[in-house]
Amino acid sequence: MNTFYLQLKKSPLAIIGLSILLLWIFAALFGPSLVSYTYTEMDMHNQLVSPGEQGHLLGTDALGRDVFSRIIYGSRTILTVALLTSLLSSFAGIIIGFIAGYFGGLVDTFFLRIMDILMAIPPLVLSMVVLGILGNSTILSLTIIVSIAYTPATARVARGALLTCKNTEYVDAARIRGESNIFIMFVEILPNTIGPVIVEITARFAYSIMMIASLGFLGVGLQPPTPDWGMMVIENKSIIRSAPWTVVYPSLAIASLVIAISLFSDFLSKVMINEN
Amino acid sequence: MKTENVLEIKELNVHYTTLTTTVVALKDVSLHVGPKEALGIIGESGCGKSTLSYAIMDYLPLNGASTGQILFKGEDLLALSNKEMQKFRGNRIAMVYQNPYSSLNPSLTIGFQLEEVTMFHRGFTREKARETAIETLIDLHLGDAVGIVKRYPHQISGGMQQRICIAMALLCRPDLMILDEPTTALDVTTEAVILDLILELKEKYDMSMIYISHDIGVVNKVSDRIAIMYRGEVVETGDKKAIFDDPQHPYTRALINCIPRSGVVKEHVKLNTIPGYVTRRSAEESGCPFVARCEQKNSTCEEQYGMKEWAENHYTACDRAYATDVPAKKLQVDEGSIPDTGDAEHKNVLELDNVYRYFGHAGKRVRAVDGINLTMERNSVLGVVGESGCGKSTMGHTVTGLYPPTKGRILFDGTDISVSWRKRSPDVLKNLQLIFQNPGRSLNPSFTLEQIIGRPMKKLLGIESKQERRKLIIDILKKVDLGEEYISRKPKQLSGGEMQRAAVARAFSISPNLLVCDEPTSALDASVQASVLNLLVDLQKESGASYMFISHDLNVINYLSDQIMVMYLGRICEYGTKNEVVGSPHHPYTEALLSAVPDVDPTKTRGTIRLKGAPPNPTQKIVGCPFSGRCHRKIGKICDTTPPPKVDISETHYVYCHLPPHEMDIIATKKGM
Repeated sequence: MNTFYLQLKKSPLAIIGLSILLLWIFAALFGPSLVSYTYTEMDMHNQLVSPGEQGHLLGTDALGRDVFSRIIYGSRTILTVALLTSLLSSFAGIIIGFIAGYFGGLVDTFFLRIMDILMAIPPLVLSMVVLGILGNSTILSLTIIVSIAYTPATARVARGALLTCKNTEYVDAARIRGESNIFIMFVEILPNTIGPVIVEITARFAYSIMMIASLGFLGVGLQPPTPDWGMMVIENKSIIRSAPWTVVYPSLAIASLVIAISLFSDFLSKVMINEN
Repeated sequence: MKTENVLEIKELNVHYTTLTTTVVALKDVSLHVGPKEALGIIGESGCGKSTLSYAIMDYLPLNGASTGQILFKGEDLLALSNKEMQKFRGNRIAMVYQNPYSSLNPSLTIGFQLEEVTMFHRGFTREKARETAIETLIDLHLGDAVGIVKRYPHQISGGMQQRICIAMALLCRPDLMILDEPTTALDVTTEAVILDLILELKEKYDMSMIYISHDIGVVNKVSDRIAIMYRGEVVETGDKKAIFDDPQHPYTRALINCIPRSGVVKEHVKLNTIPGYVTRRSAEESGCPFVARCEQKNSTCEEQYGMKEWAENHYTACDRAYATDVPAKKLQVDEGSIPDTGDAEHKNVLELDNVYRYFGHAGKRVRAVDGINLTMERNSVLGVVGESGCGKSTMGHTVTGLYPPTKGRILFDGTDISVSWRKRSPDVLKNLQLIFQNPGRSLNPSFTLEQIIGRPMKKLLGIESKQERRKLIIDILKKVDLGEEYISRKPKQLSGGEMQRAAVARAFSISPNLLVCDEPTSALDASVQASVLNLLVDLQKESGASYMFISHDLNVINYLSDQIMVMYLGRICEYGTKNEVVGSPHHPYTEALLSAVPDVDPTKTRGTIRLKGAPPNPTQKIVGCPFSGRCHRKIGKICDTTPPPKVDISETHYVYCHLPPHEMDIIATKKGM
């Protein structure tokens, strides 16, 4: 942990990434109680005001809703869904990847082919079609669909991590004292693959945000009036010339969060994977 | 008049800057190498041997910095720019590395790689370069030099690859050749051939040489003068005879005495050990580098420390060398024979009945273990020796159940265990333990020693109470000389020797009847190896367990075993008690193996039997004797066509060989060790 801190101190990009990420997490946790408007509240007298005017920090949209408040509220949903998605897809990926890699042979082929089929469809297309059919996305359905779309990638990472540990002598030692396969996989091997797994979870976190924002933009994400960053961009697309703030700020929010997580994830992969 | 030295190193200091600290890798190293002289450098890992060679070649990593002087024929190499250095590197000074496979580019032909050297340094045309390359290869006794240049590195054996690397170093006829552990990755019979070759080439090309190794026997064989390094400092230099006969620095003495060698057996001597281990050196530290581990230290170790002349050409950095109260300098070796202990109750702990273990599919089948019959007595140590690929590890792993035998029966205490671990009873699992070669990989890095040692206790002995387990763990840790505080440490926090002792503790924690030790000391330094060997001897006496001790190192096998089995290509060549196999070998392969072991004592020299070629491809079905292709005593066609019969020499000693009895007697009387 000491070297982790020392290395963090030496990489300014990681510090920037981590700070922005923490800022967004703070905004999601406490923001809604600090802002002066709710996300549905319409200021009928002040539609499309420019940023900074009439007490609207980032201006208002065509319905007179405060852009800043909607971004802050939107961070809640996007962070929740993204976090759940990255955890869920990593969890499923680890189980599938470990079983495939550990048993090898036909089991491996079976799972890998299923993953290949899923991977052949781009995750965005897959989620879009399924959500489109289901209609009315909720946080739950969004999380599950995006998780499924991402599971093949995490399964491959987990399988790769397991394979590097599978042929070590400590696994042999566990076998000849008669340990069960479950024990060997999840007690002996899992702790030693934690580096790549954590890196995968953070990287998946950034991908999920992109995905959820994209789905919102395409109109199959969370339904109005839930504030969704992607949806905010598409809603105001037609007035981008007259009121650019309604599009630019939500876009900046997406970009800053994705870049921040990516920077931090790059740093993690350098530290956690090289260390082991 | 003194002749000019080829290389003179004056007060060389090298340090590495890391994230947290500065590590001193070399401190005030002064050495010289005369014309046509071979300087051997010995030391354990982490003592700066390789750093020294990299410093000479100006190959230090980016975080390394050096001060001092390295004079090569009067020119200071450290003052040269990188471009100027190019003229020396690989040209006037050549280097051969430990691992030949990674020093050759796998995607270029050997010829191309050899040609590049002279084309770059000597401006040869490709034709001339090829000619020189082939000439050099012929000097190295590579039979088919013209054919070899067309091949890729992976198409030739490890020994051949190392010869190619040596040829590459010789192409520009260097004045100085640095060899950094060139034979460590090779088998002992291949090593013997390479060492002979190096000596021959040194004479032929009038070169000076620096030979770096951790193996005193090897250094003795090739060098004229020896320097001992410890923690970045040269602690003693002198002619090899002086170093061996009259070592002065406590570290030199300790190092020489901790290596098992001919005549050193467990019945007579306990190996010398050095407490503690090699630690990194910080910039502030001064005085004798060995002081923390030295048994003879006193107050002068720090103040009066420095290199002193002890005798002509013999320098030592120990002030205590002048003291008279220092105990015996050499390990006393009793050359008398060992009485064979006749156990009244001949109960077998392990029986292998015609065991085979194959890998791969039909057509490309590797015969790792090819028909082994063997019985092991209770409370005995069976040493299994052979070169890499002879199937000794596979046999050990088959016994422990990592994979079941393809054919044949394994009986353990009368129970049939010719199945894999999954089908074995907990009782068998408990009584049959395995110690692995690499302790860093056999202990799970995520767990503490308490978890690592406690798990088999819980699983196989059924001790559920955590307190009870902890008490037992502390007991067993004490037995392997690890204190109570180690219980909460993870493998990463331990040194190599401590890890292996923890692995031994794990195996012994559930008191097994049979312990298979698969090269448990070959990844360890000499002084650490000694402590692990001593520990194994003590634990065996105390517990009465039997060992199957697998090693490629005959000195270690000879030290520890009661019976010795020599394997070649999955089959037994010779089996007998230690005295019988080492004292009067009857199989030509045993003879060759014994002759190839470099002796620690430079006064003892023996002729090496050079084995031709490499072991045959294990995927081929061998009809006759597996050794016939390389045998120096091959009698004729019968060796290739008929499997050798079992010949009983005595009740406990047999060989598989076609040789007529009188010829075997010749081998026996010549005596290996």
